[in-house]
Amino acid sequence: MGIEAEAVWDAGDMGCGELLLELRARVAGLRPGQVFELIAHDLGAPADIPAWCRLTGHTLVSQEHPVYRIRRKES
Amino acid sequence: MANRFCVSLTHAKDNSDKATVAFVVANAALGSGKETLVFLSVEGVRLSQPGYADDIREEGFAPLRELMENFAKGGGTMYVCSPCFKKRKLDENRLVPGAAIVGGAKLVEFLSDGSPCVSY
Repeated sequence: MGIEAEAVWDAGDMGCGELLLELRARVAGLRPGQVFELIAHDLGAPADIPAWCRLTGHTLVSQEHPVYRIRRKES
Repeated sequence: MANRFCVSLTHAKDNSDKATVAFVVANAALGSGKETLVFLSVEGVRLSQPGYADDIREEGFAPLRELMENFAKGGGTMYVCSPCFKKRKLDENRLVPGAAIVGGAKLVEFLSDGSPCVSY
């Protein structure tokens, strides 16, 4: 995949609000520009994670369900 | 895009499915960076009482108490409808974290800045 993630979190079957609330906290722990790897098996994840990135301003670097790589925004 | 999001909830144990999903959606809004309000009215005000939600657990979801705790810890706010609360003679000295008893003006103020609102 070519991009090394600073942190990885396997969220298992967690989805929707539970997933996003925890994801917010974990990505907030990164420095700007660092990449976070999320593994999310929830059926809603392929639609939800890109939407979450658009809402929050983080960049979805790659999406190959169930693996999502997210680059933390600059500020 | 509005930076606020409101979830209106009128149920508690009379429809624990709706009560649970309301907080799941609220946590999605909070997790997406929105200033998020859950407006508890009608039967929903019972959720403002500590311990009330302890035995509510819908299949496939986290326990409601956990969802509510995570919402409050994440900075979410719960407005509790004052007349609905009084009608049910609940205890104003015992409220769950993040809850505040308010009148309608507070809800109107929150929504008037352009907040969308979804109802359960």
